[in-house]
Amino acid sequence: MNTLDIKHLSKRFANAEFAAVNDVSFGLKNGEILALVGPSGCGKTTTLRLVVGLEYPDAGEIRLNGRLVASDTIFVPPEQRGVGLVFQDHALFPHLTVYENIAFGLRGRKPAEIRATVNEMLELVGLTGLANRYPHALSGGERQRVALARALAPRPVLVLMDEPFSSLDADLRRIVREQVRGILKAMRATVIFVTHDQEEALYMGDRLAVINLGRVEQIGAPEEIFHAPATRFVAEFMGASDFLRGEATPEGIRTEAGWLSQPTFVSQLAQVEIALRADDVDFELSEMGNGVIVERFFRGAFNVYRLRLDSGQVLHAFKEHTQILPAGARVRAFISAGHPLAVFQNGRAVSRGVMNG
Amino acid sequence: MQRILTYRFVATPSRKSPASHWLAIAAGLTALFVAIPLVYIFLRAAGAEAAAWQRLLQARIWQLLGNTLLLVFAVTCGALATGISMAWLTERTDLPGRNILRAMLALPLAIPAYIGGIVHLALLRPRGGLIPQALEGIFGQPVLTPSPLGFWGSAFILTLFTYPYVYLLSGAAFRSLHASLEEAARSLGRTPWQTFWQVTLPALRPGIMAGALLVALDILAEYGTVALLRYETFSSAIFVQLAGRYDRSAASVLSAVLVGLAIFILWAELRAQGQRRFTQIESNWRPARRIALGKWRWLAFLLVAGVVSASLLVPLGVLVGWSIQAFVDAQVLEAVFRTGSRGFSSFVWNSLWTSSLAAFLAVVLSLPVALFSVRYPSRASRFIARFCQVGYALPGVVIALSLVLLVNRALPFLYATPLVVVLAYVLRHMPQAVRSSESALNQLSPSLEEAARTLGRTPLQTLLQVTLPLILPGLLAGGALVFLTSLKELPATLLLRPPGFDTLAVRVWFWAAEGFYVQAAPAALILVLAAALPLAFLLRREQIFTDESANEHS
Repeated sequence: MNTLDIKHLSKRFANAEFAAVNDVSFGLKNGEILALVGPSGCGKTTTLRLVVGLEYPDAGEIRLNGRLVASDTIFVPPEQRGVGLVFQDHALFPHLTVYENIAFGLRGRKPAEIRATVNEMLELVGLTGLANRYPHALSGGERQRVALARALAPRPVLVLMDEPFSSLDADLRRIVREQVRGILKAMRATVIFVTHDQEEALYMGDRLAVINLGRVEQIGAPEEIFHAPATRFVAEFMGASDFLRGEATPEGIRTEAGWLSQPTFVSQLAQVEIALRADDVDFELSEMGNGVIVERFFRGAFNVYRLRLDSGQVLHAFKEHTQILPAGARVRAFISAGHPLAVFQNGRAVSRGVMNG
Repeated sequence: MQRILTYRFVATPSRKSPASHWLAIAAGLTALFVAIPLVYIFLRAAGAEAAAWQRLLQARIWQLLGNTLLLVFAVTCGALATGISMAWLTERTDLPGRNILRAMLALPLAIPAYIGGIVHLALLRPRGGLIPQALEGIFGQPVLTPSPLGFWGSAFILTLFTYPYVYLLSGAAFRSLHASLEEAARSLGRTPWQTFWQVTLPALRPGIMAGALLVALDILAEYGTVALLRYETFSSAIFVQLAGRYDRSAASVLSAVLVGLAIFILWAELRAQGQRRFTQIESNWRPARRIALGKWRWLAFLLVAGVVSASLLVPLGVLVGWSIQAFVDAQVLEAVFRTGSRGFSSFVWNSLWTSSLAAFLAVVLSLPVALFSVRYPSRASRFIARFCQVGYALPGVVIALSLVLLVNRALPFLYATPLVVVLAYVLRHMPQAVRSSESALNQLSPSLEEAARTLGRTPLQTLLQVTLPLILPGLLAGGALVFLTSLKELPATLLLRPPGFDTLAVRVWFWAAEGFYVQAAPAALILVLAAALPLAFLLRREQIFTDESANEHS
C-alpha cells in the first residue's frame, strides 16, 4: 500500500485565470523522497497545502495509508491527518524555546516519553546544546534543523517540505541539504520536497516530479528526468538547453549543424527540435563554416562559447580553459555528443532508446 | 538595529473553512453594534419635524458650519506646521537635548485639551488672569495681553494639545525613511531644500495625512475646550441643546450634519491615501544623516522648548503649584476630599474602572473583526473592518445623544447606570482597538498558525496557544490607547453619567467651571498622570525613546 495516493486532484483559486493544481495524480511509497520541482507559481506549494489539509480541493481524492482524507464529500482537518510540514519561513513559534517548539506536536503523551523524544530529535539534528534558546537567537541553519525536528518529532506518516532551504545562502544550503537528506533517510521518513531549484531536486529526490502550470509534466528517477525528458519543458527546465531545429526521418535528423544519426519515432519527414547542452556541441575555426562566435564566457575550469549559426540559431559549446578564441571568428559547429539526444516534436519526446543507448 | 518597517503577510482565503463562519458571524455582530448609534442618529434627524430643520437651516447651521470648519482648518494647519517641524528638528538635526525633548513633545497627549485650556485661561484671562495681574502689578497700569478666549484662543490651545498626533506619526515616518532615498535625490541634482520638498515630504505623506485626520476628527468632537473658551461649534451647540434645552430634535439634526462632516473627512482621507502605496526597501536600511544646525542650534532649541513649555511644562507646573496650595489650605483640602457624600477616591476609582472596562471590551470586540479581515480577506470582511472605523466620526456628544434615546427605549435596565458610559467609550474608541489588532495580526505570519494545525491543534486551540500569545503586545497597545482616550473623554461622560456618578474628568470640569481652580488641580493632576502611564507604554513600543547610538550605528 502506498503511503500517499493522489488521484485527479484539482484546485483553482477565486479570481485566478488558471487552475493552480490541474488533474494531478501520483503515489508515494513508504520511505521514499519525492521532489516536486517547477518554476514559481506552478502549483507545487498548493499541492503540498492540499495534502496537509490547509486548502480544500475542488476535485479529486487524497489518501494517506489508504485512508481517504479529502474528496468531494470528506475533508479531514490538518490536525487529524498526521502529516508534518516544514515551512518555507520555518514558522518556529517565537514565544517558545527550541525544546518547546519540538515538543509542541507531542501533546497528550507521557511526560517521560515527550522528554525522550525531544532529546532524541535534538541529538538527531545536532542541536542538543541549544534546547533552551529562543528561535530569534538561532542561526538560519539551526532554525532550519529545529523546524525539521519539530515536524519529525510526532513521527508523521508523511513529511512535506516547502522550499525549506530558500532562506539560506548558497554555501550553507549545500551543507544543510546533505544533513537533512541524511536525517530523513535515517528516520526512513516518507517525504515530499518542494523546490524550484533543479539541482536541489536532483540531489534530494529518490524520484522527481516536474510540474508546470498545475500539471505533472513527468515523474521518474532523477537520471531519467535529466537524460530522457518527456517534454520540451522538462528539457528546458532541468538543464539549460538550446533547441536545434531539424528535419527527422526514421533513420536520423538533418540539421544545420550536420547529420545526427539517431533513430526517432517519426514515420515520415517531420520538423523536430533537438535539445543540446553545451557539452553536446563542439566547433572548429573554419572560414567555410556555418556560424560565428558571438561571445566567450570564462568559467574558470572551461570556456563557454556562444555561437550563432547562419540561420540565427544560437548554440552554446564548451572548450578548454586555455582555448581562447576571438568573438566574430567564423566557425564550423557540429554535434559531438557521445550519447543519444532528446528530440521533440511539438514539445513531446520522439527520441528512441535515449536511456540505454 | 531597530526596524520600523512592518511586514505584511497575505493570507490566502480558504473557501469553506468552518472557523471562518463563526468569525464572520462575530465580526458582523460587532459591526452591527457599532452601526446602531450612527443609523439611529440619521433616522432621528430624518424624522425630525420640518419646522426644526427650517429653524436650524435659516441661520444656526450655516454659522455653526462656518465656525466649526474654520476651527478644524486652523487647528489642523497649526498642528501640521508644529508637528512636522518638531519631528524634523528632533529626528533629523543635531538639536541639543533631542532625546529628552522627543519624549516631552509626545506627552501633551496625556493632557486633555480642556485641562490645558483651564490652565491657560487662568493665566491669561483678560481680567483677573494671573499674568495680566502680575504685569499690572509691575507696571502700575493694565498691559494688553493676548486673550485665550474666542477663535484665536481656541485655535491656539487646541493646536498645543493635538499637534502630538502629527508629531508622532511624522516622527515615525522620518525614522523609517531610507537614507538612500534622499541621497539618490541629491545625486540626481537636487539641492537639500528641493530634496526635502520633492522627496522627503511626499514620502512622509501617509504618516502626515493620518496625523492630520486624527487632529481634524478630534476638533470636530471637541467640547470642553470650545465651551470653556466660548467659541461655538457643532459639538458645543449639540451639548447645549441636549443638556440645557432638552431639544432632542434639534440636537439630532445638528448631530446628523456633524457626523456627515466627519464621514466626509474620513472619506476624503481614504481617497487621497488609497491612490498611492509606498513600499520601503527592506534591506540595508540605515537612518539618514543628521543635519548640523550650526548657529541656528540654540534658536531651534528655544523654539522646541517654547512648544514643550506651553503644552507640557506650564500646564503641569501650574497644576502642581495649585495642588500644593490645595494641600496647604485645610479648607480646600476638606473640599477636595469630601464632595457631597462621595470622596476623592471614588472619582479616581470611577475613572479607572470605566476606562479599563471599556478598553477590555473594545479589544475583545475588535478581535473577531481583525481576525476576519486579516485572515479571510474578502469584500465583506474589508467592509466590516472599515465600518468599525465609524466611531472616529462619532463625536462624544453624538454618541451620548443616541445612547440617551436608545437606552431609554430599548434597554431601560441600563438607563442611569455607569454601564451606559462604558458603552459610549467602547463605541467611540472601537476604531483604535480594531486598528491595533489588525496591525498586530498583519505582522503575524499565517504559517505559524498553520504550523500549529499540522502539529495537531484545532482552530480554537491554535487561537489560544499561538495567535493570542503572539499578538498580545499589539492588543495591549490597543487597550492602552482606548484606556487613555476614555479617561480623557468629557462630553459623553457628562451627558450619560447617572446622577452623582463623578469621574476625574467630570469633577475637574465642574470645579473649574465654578472657578475653583485650586480645588480642581489635584484631580486634574491625577488624571494626567493616569493617562501618562499608558502613553509611556505606547511610546516605548513606538521606540520614541530608543537609544540614539543604537539607531545610528548598527
